[in-house]
Amino acid sequence: MSAARDRIFGRVRAAVHGRKRTDHPGDFLGWRPASSVTDAVAGFTEMFTAAGGEVVRLASMGLASTWLRDFAAGFTGVALGASLPDDFVPDFSLAQPESAELGVSTAVGAVAETGSLVLDARDGRRVQLLPPTHVVLLRKEVVYPTLAEALEVVSRDPPSAVGLHSGPSKSADIGQILVKGVHGPGRVIALLVG
Amino acid sequence: MRVALFATCLGDRLFADACADAVRLLRRLGCDVAFPEAQTCCGQPAFNAGYVAEARRMARHTMRVFADADHVVLPSGSCAGMLHRYYPDFFEGAERVRAGQLAGRTWELSQFLVRVLGVVDLGGGLRGRRVAYHHGCHALRELGVHDEPVSLLRAGGAEVVPWEADQECCGFGGLFSTKFPPVSAGMADRKLESLPAVDVVTSADGGCLMQMAGRAGRRGFATPFRHLASLLLEATA
Amino acid sequence: MTRARPADYPQAAAATLRDTPEVRDAVTAATRTFDTHRRESWAQIDAERWRDWCRDVKDHVLTHLDDLLEQAEVRLVANGATVHWAEGAYDALATLGRIVDAEGVRRVVKAKSMLTEELGVNTFLEGRGVHVRETDLGEYIIQLLGEPPSHIVGPAIHRSVDDCRRLFHRHFGTPLDATPEALAATARQALREEFLAADLGISGCNFLVAETGTLALIENEGNIRLSTSAPRVHVAFVGIEKILPRMVDLSGFLQITARGATGQPIGTYVSLIRGPRGEGESDGPEQVHVVLVDNGRTTLLADDVAWETLRCVRCGACLNICPVYRQTGGHPYGFTYSGPIGAILAPALLGLEEAMPLPFASSLCGACADVCPVRIPIPDLLLHWRARAVEAGLTPLGERVAMRAYAAAAERPGGFSGAGSLLRYVPWKRGGRALPVLGGWSAERDPPEISARPFHKLWREGIE
Repeated sequence: MSAARDRIFGRVRAAVHGRKRTDHPGDFLGWRPASSVTDAVAGFTEMFTAAGGEVVRLASMGLASTWLRDFAAGFTGVALGASLPDDFVPDFSLAQPESAELGVSTAVGAVAETGSLVLDARDGRRVQLLPPTHVVLLRKEVVYPTLAEALEVVSRDPPSAVGLHSGPSKSADIGQILVKGVHGPGRVIALLVG
Repeated sequence: MRVALFATCLGDRLFADACADAVRLLRRLGCDVAFPEAQTCCGQPAFNAGYVAEARRMARHTMRVFADADHVVLPSGSCAGMLHRYYPDFFEGAERVRAGQLAGRTWELSQFLVRVLGVVDLGGGLRGRRVAYHHGCHALRELGVHDEPVSLLRAGGAEVVPWEADQECCGFGGLFSTKFPPVSAGMADRKLESLPAVDVVTSADGGCLMQMAGRAGRRGFATPFRHLASLLLEATA
Repeated sequence: MTRARPADYPQAAAATLRDTPEVRDAVTAATRTFDTHRRESWAQIDAERWRDWCRDVKDHVLTHLDDLLEQAEVRLVANGATVHWAEGAYDALATLGRIVDAEGVRRVVKAKSMLTEELGVNTFLEGRGVHVRETDLGEYIIQLLGEPPSHIVGPAIHRSVDDCRRLFHRHFGTPLDATPEALAATARQALREEFLAADLGISGCNFLVAETGTLALIENEGNIRLSTSAPRVHVAFVGIEKILPRMVDLSGFLQITARGATGQPIGTYVSLIRGPRGEGESDGPEQVHVVLVDNGRTTLLADDVAWETLRCVRCGACLNICPVYRQTGGHPYGFTYSGPIGAILAPALLGLEEAMPLPFASSLCGACADVCPVRIPIPDLLLHWRARAVEAGLTPLGERVAMRAYAAAAERPGGFSGAGSLLRYVPWKRGGRALPVLGGWSAERDPPEISARPFHKLWREGIE
């Protein structure tokens, strides 16, 4: 190990030594939106929509697949995430994420209290980020009330990277005026099944 | 009720009439007012500028002067805040205990009227007056004085006009105002630019009034600035 | 561009207010919007309990930092990341230089990071002939302008839409009446090419989870996700205080940071990165380097009073509510971090003498302490550094002499009639400059009206 490391640790230990060590306060049991506790799906829908995302809720995978086929017809070039079920994928004109107008991926979870989709790197990161419109397949069973629960679940078999996506890409860096779709997708739709 | 008035150094020289009005007001409300003449400065200007040893000397002196007072009343939120919030930190042992006791007996004027005297009604002498109230930062944050002055002004018949920036700093900050004059003036400008149409601006803090009035004068604002003590006395008239 | 220094703050602040008054308007408007959103957002939650919890977690981290850093390092290495340690900017940049050389890096995309500003990463890379591009829209704007960030969260808040229109017109030939949407689309296109062509992505880090070795990064645009996903190599610069013990701790911190910064429930994008691209992953970096940086942080940690400063999560809430910061934005502070948090970080990270007069550039109004999500007692720490400055003899001689005399006089009742008494002798008409303590008042304000008779005389005469 490097000399820099040793010196840094030496200084940290010297600083911490003699100071009263305080305990971790334990789990955070703070606020949860009322809706998320009783109905995580409703809570997620409310928060995700408030952040500028869209939610399309359908009763079955079959209906979702049909919806996606019709929706994708308006786009030239669709990029697909690796974890979409084969029988779910309609007949698209496929494209690489770099050139696709639409990206379709699968969420491994969602969070009611923050309105977040949980996206796994194994599904492909570029498809989650590069196309201007992003549809995310989400099963209602994996909508968790709180972020803590979702983080706990995602940590069991973690990929190299997880993205929490809570609405479309946005920026107010130009004169404090809100603009969507700056780098990531300007439109994001949670295709909620169940 | 026996009270000792701590006029404060700024009050003594710049707001002498307001201090006198505070005495009249307290007497009118049945208090026996004393003015320990050995009083000087609470030490805040030194403390805020980093001169802790100097501030401690002044604190020690002030503690001696007011050792026997039942209640110490100040027409200044920031000086009251100094005694209340910081004096105990200057000392150890028995002296710290005494500083803590003094802190517990120290009040900004409006705070004393409401919390100790329980004043809810003053008389309607301010009826028809439109007033803007500036919350001095230290009264607000170190003493938690928020509703007291406003409720007293209302009790006196004044219309307290909403002011967007009423809780923002005026930019005085003691030596800060002289170390960084344009920044300090910009802060006062924010107060003035957001000021609603009123007959008078008031505050429990002389330093803030001096700052805002000084800037208002320079910029040609005609609205008068008066100390809360004087307005509350008028309310009883 | 010569780098500004804290010592220039008085002149630089005055010049900003005098020469570019529109900066005050832009910064005031932007920070008031941020602060309003924060207030509304906190009203929806039990913010006080939340703040207590965050403070307590951070205090636990800072009092166990040795163990937690070791744990984080072990986990990161197990995840396949490479861990480097840097004592200062020189170390950190040398590490970056070695990676750049080893990987033959020609093009770099950078995600917004205050630590890389602190270290001077861009200047270093440009000096080595590496093309480096900021990708956060605000950072991109100020990079094109050749300016440092003016705010921790909104680097370009001091610039108006018209400023951006003129800038983009110059660089891209967009019309002078282009909409913000059109300007953003232009930047999106230009930067998209940069992301796809870059060999190396550089990021900072909001939190590093010790138990899992997870880097957490917060943003709204997607540029951090892209900078850490598209290039072959990812280098993350991480301040050693950024540790959180557990994955679930992120829950509270991700939310309070976003709510404190912009009032959002959470940043639009959160990246949780454990290491390089894993088996069966089709994209993502092949290498992840984590550079753990001290650069003055252990000095702060060793300070028995000021160590609490290291709780800071860089949300910018204290800047947004600060009436002093609102006058000028961040540039006059002459330091990477401006506003209240900058004024208490500078003495530790730069050294107190170099940081002067920033600890004094506050009216001590206390608004910052009301909003800090980790309850850093900023006003008390400003007083702490002021006292240290006096002890170190860094305040003006005239002031020191005056204060000593003032305190001595205040112990002699009769000989003293208050600071107010000094005011009578100030030659106000000549600008009041004769007294060092009071000089400067009359430059901006009318002199105070001195009472015809001081109160103690009125008292002696009897008040009826």
